[in-house]
Amino acid sequence: MLEIRNLHATVEGREILNGIDLTVRAGEVHAIMGPNGSGKSTLANVIAGREGYVVTEGEVLFDGKNLLEMEPEIRACEGLFLAFQYPVEIPGVANLYFLKAAVNAVRKYRGESPVDAMDFWDLVHERMELVKMDESMLKRSVNEGFSGGEKKRNEIFQMAVLQPRFAVLDETDSGLDIDALRVVADGVNALRGPERGFLVITHYQRLLDYIVPDHVHVLVNGRIARSGGKELALELEEQGYALYNEEPGRARRAAA
Amino acid sequence: MTAAAPVLSDRHRPAFDAFMANRREPDKLSRLRREAFERFEALGWPTRQQEAWRFTDLSALQSLALQRAADAPVEAAALPTLDTAIHRLVFINGRFAPGLSKLTELPERTVIASLGQVLAADPQAVQNQLDQLPGLAQHPFTALNGTFWEDGAFIYLLPGAVLDHPIHIIFHATGGDTAVYPRLLVMLDDGARANIVVEYRGQGRYLQAPVVELSIDDGAVLEYHQLQEEAPQAFHLGGIKLQQGRDSQTQLHLMSFGGQLARTDLEVLLDGEHASCMLNGLTVGRDNQASNFYVRVDHAHPHGSSQQLFKSVLDDKARSVFDGIIHVRPHAQKTDARQNSRNLLLSKQALAQSNPRLEILADDVKCGHGSSTGFLDPNAEFYLRARGIPAAQARAMLVYAFANDSLNAIRLNPLRERLARLLAGRLALDSTEEDLTS
Ligand SMILES: Nc1ncnc2c1ncn2[C@@H]1O[C@H](COP(=O)(O)OP(=O)(O)O)[C@@H](O)[C@H]1O
Ligand SMILES: [Mg+2]
Repeated sequence: MLEIRNLHATVEGREILNGIDLTVRAGEVHAIMGPNGSGKSTLANVIAGREGYVVTEGEVLFDGKNLLEMEPEIRACEGLFLAFQYPVEIPGVANLYFLKAAVNAVRKYRGESPVDAMDFWDLVHERMELVKMDESMLKRSVNEGFSGGEKKRNEIFQMAVLQPRFAVLDETDSGLDIDALRVVADGVNALRGPERGFLVITHYQRLLDYIVPDHVHVLVNGRIARSGGKELALELEEQGYALYNEEPGRARRAAA
Repeated sequence: MTAAAPVLSDRHRPAFDAFMANRREPDKLSRLRREAFERFEALGWPTRQQEAWRFTDLSALQSLALQRAADAPVEAAALPTLDTAIHRLVFINGRFAPGLSKLTELPERTVIASLGQVLAADPQAVQNQLDQLPGLAQHPFTALNGTFWEDGAFIYLLPGAVLDHPIHIIFHATGGDTAVYPRLLVMLDDGARANIVVEYRGQGRYLQAPVVELSIDDGAVLEYHQLQEEAPQAFHLGGIKLQQGRDSQTQLHLMSFGGQLARTDLEVLLDGEHASCMLNGLTVGRDNQASNFYVRVDHAHPHGSSQQLFKSVLDDKARSVFDGIIHVRPHAQKTDARQNSRNLLLSKQALAQSNPRLEILADDVKCGHGSSTGFLDPNAEFYLRARGIPAAQARAMLVYAFANDSLNAIRLNPLRERLARLLAGRLALDSTEEDLTS
């Protein structure tokens, strides 16, 4: 479903990704772990199409289509979703309006008519319960004045409403207490299915207790240093990234 | 047949003489006109060397010899409506159009009429009230209006009178290189309450140079809305004088959308303790439009409050100026005065200028001002696009969001909804936030 081949990318002229190869098939959940600054968010941003991230080599295919040629909104309409590490505050744009605009943009792309108001309302309410979000958040401006946890919850809420085919979660678990962590995991697990793929970027093994991945990759210095099954996450938790040129515990301290 | 002398040019004296020759009116009014004209002659045509006109380019206007506008038919369907307004006054080229107006069901203790109607019925009322408020003495176009005005709206509420419905006033100009001098005189006696919507609009090329006098007595409450939606080639140079008594409250919503050059000079005198005034300005500009607000708020008594927020959204080569003075007199202690200007530029060629100034002569006051100018937040744009929203729509949503809280401060639903549609139309948005959240 998502194929990344020999991906090199620079930010402000500096090479951050140094040849990444990664294939996620439909139905799979892959976790990417790695120390701070290793390029995890860069990878997520390249996949989503953020400006300023320049691909110098390699390719990314989404269902066989060249993803890197698409505008960010086309990628989203094709079924790609990025849960941001740092969700953006947008004063003056109500959450509900934003969501409806997003849903209708995707529908328009697919040649469908705008969503029926009642159907939309039902969907929103159902998904709100899933992520245990308060209805008052719908009227509030997108992420404005939200706590860190509320912002992350809102990302998962959007994902649950948009129901993408492929989602990248960039440290959605950072800074969350255990209840919020469960909400994030429930959101992902509810969407999990044979048609969907996930790339879960995390700093901690903790999240992977709830979202059990099929594969775990360790990203270091812009390269996948190691890949394995879910037990690799546990191993990293015990040993840190020391084996990958990092002193033990630094990653955890830096993330705290 | 000789052409009528221009009523706006560098040779005004013949125009003035010709104008006066045809007037039939009480001597006192003629005297007011003569005084205004002398004031204009003394001030002269503004130049860029004058501080107050440094940033207002009048050259395109000055090169025109504008005539007095003749009567012209306008279809009722061409004019906007406000569905909760039952009192409606329409002026075409500055003259009252009774056929387009609606002045039935007038409440008691209230006068809503054209100046012409009041002059015919009770000349004293007009003579004694017109041009009585202080301020804008240095404003040449206020002086020209004082000279050449022909008609206008007269609103007078006796003590305690409360109007439930807004009064809708439309000044429409039909163009053809004409100068129009609309008038609005509002007097709210003690404890009276009114809600007024004034619209400036038109077609073709013309100048509308209105003068608005708002006299708000003790405890009176005024909500005033001004929608400047002049034709793209038009000029708008207006003056507003507002005087407030003790415990009075006003809200002025000043929306500037139209014209090639628009400028409103506003002078507020808080002339009683605990008077409060809220100014909510919004400019939406594109192409080569220029829109200026020059505001002076004078706190003359203790415990006054004034809150100003002026915003502009500028695309293409549009320009805006906000020039604001808060003046606090020495004994006006406990004054709370805020002034804020925020500008959003949508193009590198757009230019927003803010000149906030404080003149604080009292020591126990809370006064503050701030201004900011910036472009759209690329992170926010990316966030919206990453959810599937096309780039143009994403930008429009962000602009709408920036301007929307100015609209949200307007409590009059039908007007707010109209402004929302106007703004959405400017941004090529399919639907307004209001449609989608309700
Ligand atoms: N927008 C950016 N501007 C400048 N440098 C960036 C930007 N994004 C990432 N970087 C740099 O790229 C490197 C990798 O960062 P990032 O991908 O955020 O790592 P991670 O998510 O693994 O912590 C860091 O050295 C960071 O400073
Ligand atoms: Mg990161």
